[in-house]
Amino acid sequence: MLKLNYIKNILKVTSIFFIFLQVSCVQNKKRENIIVASAGKIESLDPAQANTLRSLQILSALGDTLYKINNEGNISPSLAKDLPKVSKNGLQIDIPLKENISFHDGTIFNAEAMAFSLNRFLKIGTLNYLLNEKIKDIEVKDEFLIRIKLKKPSSSLRSLLTSVNLTPVSPYSYSNYKDSFNNKNFIGTGPYFLESFNSSQQILKPFNNYWGRKALNKGVDFINYTNSSTLFGAIKTKEVDVLISNSIDDMQRVSLNNMVNKDQLKSGEGDPIEIGYITFKSNKLPLANKTIREALSYTIDRELISKQVSFGTREPLRSIVPPHLHKEEFSPWPIYNPNIARSLLKKEGYCEKDILSFPLTFRSNIPADKLLALTWRDQIKRDLSDCIQITLNGIESTTVYKQLSEGAFEAVILDWTGAYPDPNAYLTPLLSCNEIKDNTCLKGEAVFSGSFWGNNKVQDILEESEFLEGESRLKSLMKAEQHAAEGRAYLPIWLVKPKAWSLNDISQPEFSKDGLIILKNLKRD
Amino acid sequence: MLWIISSLVFILLRIAPGDPVDAILGTRANEIARASLRNRLGLDKPLINQYLEYLNQLIHGNLGISLSTEEPVKVIIAKALPASLELAIFSILIASLLGYLIGFLGAVKPEGRIDFWGRIFGIGTYALPPFWAAMLIQIIFAVLLGWLPIGGRLPPGVMPPNPVTGFLLLDSVLNKNIEIIFSSIKHLILPSFTLGILLSGIFSRSLRLNLEEILKKDYIQAAKSRGINDSRILFKHALPNTLLPVLTITGLTVSSLIGGALLIEITYSWPGIALGLQEAINQRDYPVVQGIVVVISSIVVMISIGIDIAIAYIDPRVSY
Repeated sequence: MLKLNYIKNILKVTSIFFIFLQVSCVQNKKRENIIVASAGKIESLDPAQANTLRSLQILSALGDTLYKINNEGNISPSLAKDLPKVSKNGLQIDIPLKENISFHDGTIFNAEAMAFSLNRFLKIGTLNYLLNEKIKDIEVKDEFLIRIKLKKPSSSLRSLLTSVNLTPVSPYSYSNYKDSFNNKNFIGTGPYFLESFNSSQQILKPFNNYWGRKALNKGVDFINYTNSSTLFGAIKTKEVDVLISNSIDDMQRVSLNNMVNKDQLKSGEGDPIEIGYITFKSNKLPLANKTIREALSYTIDRELISKQVSFGTREPLRSIVPPHLHKEEFSPWPIYNPNIARSLLKKEGYCEKDILSFPLTFRSNIPADKLLALTWRDQIKRDLSDCIQITLNGIESTTVYKQLSEGAFEAVILDWTGAYPDPNAYLTPLLSCNEIKDNTCLKGEAVFSGSFWGNNKVQDILEESEFLEGESRLKSLMKAEQHAAEGRAYLPIWLVKPKAWSLNDISQPEFSKDGLIILKNLKRD
Repeated sequence: MLWIISSLVFILLRIAPGDPVDAILGTRANEIARASLRNRLGLDKPLINQYLEYLNQLIHGNLGISLSTEEPVKVIIAKALPASLELAIFSILIASLLGYLIGFLGAVKPEGRIDFWGRIFGIGTYALPPFWAAMLIQIIFAVLLGWLPIGGRLPPGVMPPNPVTGFLLLDSVLNKNIEIIFSSIKHLILPSFTLGILLSGIFSRSLRLNLEEILKKDYIQAAKSRGINDSRILFKHALPNTLLPVLTITGLTVSSLIGGALLIEITYSWPGIALGLQEAINQRDYPVVQGIVVVISSIVVMISIGIDIAIAYIDPRVSY
């Protein structure tokens, strides 16, 4: 009897404690700011260094770019007053700038500020390889006119000017950071200013003197959780208002989509900008043999993989450029056909007595990669067990990136997101090569991508395309991709759409063409 | 000991594949940018010079500057360590209360119902994979029941109080901020209970085994035959003698908790030192990894010395 009373008392005290905790909730208060959650810590808010989706997402709200990509896929002026004027020889680009725009520190945005930001990026920018080969000099022609002098004509430069990494920063506030990163602060011209920053939470408040359409909300709190389950739980329990899809496991994406179907959440998605692919090292046998690479390109059942790995949330892909960037359907890689694969392998002496054996490396910290590797291996076991044998090799991603250009991997699963929405942002980083010998790239981007595949025709087309505009340029880039497909050094697998989910009292998330949420359009109903 | 550990970490990090320059600039950065950053970070110097400089700085209490955030390592540790210590202290409290209670009750009535379930509990918690248990507890109490927050140290959007000690709970008390006091307690409950429950199995089993063994000793039988009542025998004669192994186990657990609660910190997005270490390893941020390992090692050494001193104080047979 005494024991029972003790237990009852303990239960009472515990209940009172829990009720007290529940009543004391901070969360019950009506939130003013919109809380946006994603995975990953922000190490730097400097546009010259930022390279994660999360930091680019914040920078897109804190700053503006010279141009933006409009719904038709063309560039339209943002901080620029008009479209760029290209000289007849294609070596000079004049960009007129809008007036009466101020930075968050109150200083004026002008050509000096733009030149300062571009020069700073050229000097220390993480992605400066994109510009260094193109830009010769930057001149301030007038207070609101900037001239970019090029080393050679470059039609892709205009798309590049939409990159968040080229967001202008205030020369006054960055005077001590001309050649070093300013990781914890950002002074730009965007619709929000940075109120506070730490690596796990960033608070953005609307900038009252913003020159454009103002934010529809009272501010955005960006928070990060370390894993997919916590992010999923956070929106389910309404701890956060908006959830960004990066690092959400596919199974949880499906659950979130189901909640959207039941009207428990809203969702929005952008144009796909991330591709998943396999790189084959093309300078060492057996994969140096083009016929074998060709055979492998017939072995992958993308529909099955999409279903098994991502429950259909990742679209099967047969090109290395997201198809919408070509503005027409273009899938040069072949569809799954194990019979053709078998006959090609037989031609090379496999299937009858020899089995083609090669290691497939995947990034062990990325669940989708591991599932893709397992599914492909099992699918090959099912269809071509007498011809091909794949051994799996999981390596942490930092090590994979480091060893890629050293030629450590015969076949490796990777992904790529273009720095700006243009076919060139996919083709150049995978295909461009500065020195080719016997179809092997010795120096250039193809080395960094781990394929070592070099093709003079592709290089010529890529260079020619810089002289072209509009449709003829796109056609030319499609030709380059066609050659890449015939070279079979890459095997595109899937396409990932950026997606976000929001609570029902928040407006549907909208995406810009570069795959980032337009934060200023989020509003609480 | 600390010199050996810090030297080993220095060497192992340099042997490990991966490069901080790649982590900062990306693998596609041009050679000029890479060389300039390498020079700025001092990574272009011969390894022996880097090592000697590192030791020299370490002796002077300077742990260096993070390669990726350019923040002093001391500051990074000062932010993360209190979070880990806070979690460790509460977890140990829960583990001790629960574990020792179960172990004690089991040893007092061996083979009884409490003992049986206590042993099942001990083995169960010992065998449970921490990440699985943490996720399960998170799903039940945070997602399904919604009683407690899902992760982090504070609700999203709430700014922490002005840091005085770095311990959130203590700082919110010092700042007299009732809202944050309760919020931080709520956020602490799930991770500390998870860790506490997982550790309580070790505690209960160690106490039960030691106490059971001691209760069989001749001097206990002699005490019983002299007519001394059971509770006096238990508390006066048996328990103090089980204290030594139990104290050692508790001390070692505290040491391992500070650096070893990684899976709990990841599951609950707890910004502790283990999570910081994992991120720094991924970034190949040499100074941060070295700094954290040195600090954790120092804490482990200090706790071990503390336990040895405590044992010498408690047990007159032990002398140094």
